[in-house]
Amino acid sequence: MKIMVCIKQVPDDSVKIELDESTGKPSVEGVEPIVNAFDTYALEMAARFLETGIEGEITTITMGDENSKSSIKNCLAVGASHGYVLHDDLFEGSDAQGTAYALGCAVRKIARDEGGDFDIVFCGIETSDETSGQTGPMLAESLGYSLVTNVIALEKKDGVLHVKQETEDGYNIVETPMPCVLTAARPNYDPRYPTIKSKMAARKMPIGELSAADIGARSDKTGESASLVKTIELAAPPKRKAGIKINEEDIEEASLKAFSIMTDANVL
Amino acid sequence: MAYIISDEAKDLLKDVKNFCDNEVLEQCKEFDRTGEYPADLFAQAGELGFTSLEIPEEFGGPGLSRVDTAALLEEMARADAGFATVISATGLGLKPVLIAGSDEQKQRAADLLMEGGLAAFCLTEPGAGSDAGSGKTSAVRDGDEYVINGRKCFITNGGHAQFYCVTAMTAKDAGVKGMSMFFVEKDTPGLSFGEHEDKMGIRTSSTCDVVFEDCRVPASAMIGEEGTGFETAMKTLDQARAWVGVLAVGIAQRAMDEAVAYGKERVQFGASILKQQALRFKVADMQIKIETARQMCAYALNLMDAGEPFAKESAIAKVYGSDIANECAAEAVQMFGGYGYIRDYPVEKLIRDAKIFQIFEGTNEIQRVVIANHVIGRI
Repeated sequence: MKIMVCIKQVPDDSVKIELDESTGKPSVEGVEPIVNAFDTYALEMAARFLETGIEGEITTITMGDENSKSSIKNCLAVGASHGYVLHDDLFEGSDAQGTAYALGCAVRKIARDEGGDFDIVFCGIETSDETSGQTGPMLAESLGYSLVTNVIALEKKDGVLHVKQETEDGYNIVETPMPCVLTAARPNYDPRYPTIKSKMAARKMPIGELSAADIGARSDKTGESASLVKTIELAAPPKRKAGIKINEEDIEEASLKAFSIMTDANVL
Repeated sequence: MAYIISDEAKDLLKDVKNFCDNEVLEQCKEFDRTGEYPADLFAQAGELGFTSLEIPEEFGGPGLSRVDTAALLEEMARADAGFATVISATGLGLKPVLIAGSDEQKQRAADLLMEGGLAAFCLTEPGAGSDAGSGKTSAVRDGDEYVINGRKCFITNGGHAQFYCVTAMTAKDAGVKGMSMFFVEKDTPGLSFGEHEDKMGIRTSSTCDVVFEDCRVPASAMIGEEGTGFETAMKTLDQARAWVGVLAVGIAQRAMDEAVAYGKERVQFGASILKQQALRFKVADMQIKIETARQMCAYALNLMDAGEPFAKESAIAKVYGSDIANECAAEAVQMFGGYGYIRDYPVEKLIRDAKIFQIFEGTNEIQRVVIANHVIGRI
């Protein structure tokens, strides 16, 4: 079983990030880069899946600059065996489709080099920075693989992959042929922590670097010029207005005041 | 400012901080209240390799420098001093083996810790605290074995450690030259434990009596030569003191972090209280002390790594670190005002945690004796 987990390095989403008005971009200086949370769920699910006694290994890939290697290292410390960074000026400014195209080319290239197709290509359902949620499905399209989204568990039964898919009301159990693309939602456990030993070992593992030329990506299909989606402007969400305080001492008076405010606002 | 550490330690520090922020800090709040031992948390810390940090590379350890390790331990102490004490006391229990043990003993100790175990150092007895040479625990040779009898007290990790490095008199009338050190594994018949002490602070660590009743160990369990136990114990403590300083700095850093975070938010007279110079100076004084203490620890640890004499510097790091941890904890409570005195807020615990650091592993009075002896020499 060969599993590819696609990850993205994002700014730590536990930190409140403001929009820098002078540049019109989020001010992320000094914010720790981390692996997108949903991608860590994908990696953990893949690792647990293999730990059920299925022979196989996990490869992880990201599109990003030199700094993204630290995120790949973090993945190598918690279950991945191989890591790649997809880096080229050509990829700059790619939209989800351009990213999915490049990832697709890379997945095929690595499969050729490592001698065999990936059975599962795993992504998070979305990233915490851009939240488009499109890259996974578009990657399935680019690879021509089947797709299951919102995955919270997977199991292999009689050679078939059974996938637990979270829905608004509960979950579906879906059978899917392989190769397939899965997008991970949040399961009911947290990803493991790296151990001192696994982190030290991960630091010594080689990380492959792939350029657009290495993966045979075409310039008309990825990068800013190929982007169908253009970001016109980023805006911070409007600040919440201060609420109305009801200071009446008496409960009855306070209730009447609340009702009158709601009636005036036409919400009742 | 912080310790100047290697790139790999920087990487590990992020992971340790992440674990401490998400698991240790939150869980230990509750364990501090109940006094219950967080067994699962320590099992997890053992699996992550926190208890193996001081194992040399040749025996399977990570091969970090002492200052690298200090940065990780400080982060643990910042989250919870009791948690860090358990980890650091494991390092303390390992030291006699590393200082005087055989390669087999070193490998055995390393293997037990790498499986996630803890260690303990057993020197103190009810009648032998600062006067450690007056211990009464005995070890009598019987064929290929020694029979240990006696009672050790205030033993961190007692009852939870995989092995104990124990001092015992092998020649009663020879004074400190009659003391030897033994490697005793946890399931040895005759080894038992007293009640878990209900402590003022570092309540997430376990402290208890360790009792030896006709406890038989093979003669090969002796660490070093017969009669060298006191010397090994003193060398152990010389090293351990700097680590106590490191943990104390963690408490002090936490105190300042909490004081600054609260002071920024707390508004009185229409502005943050940290606009008041009286309180700004408190923060500056805390920072001066913390950074000075930290660099003293680093200096002592660097001397150890370099194989230079370090006993005086290690004692200074312990005294100064623990004194300023108490000062910073008290100032953090002051910054919080009345809220600081309430258990729902994080700073009263720091006062309780910090106090023991002036007492254990050689009281600060004994440290001053050590330092004065080094400075003055023979008169």
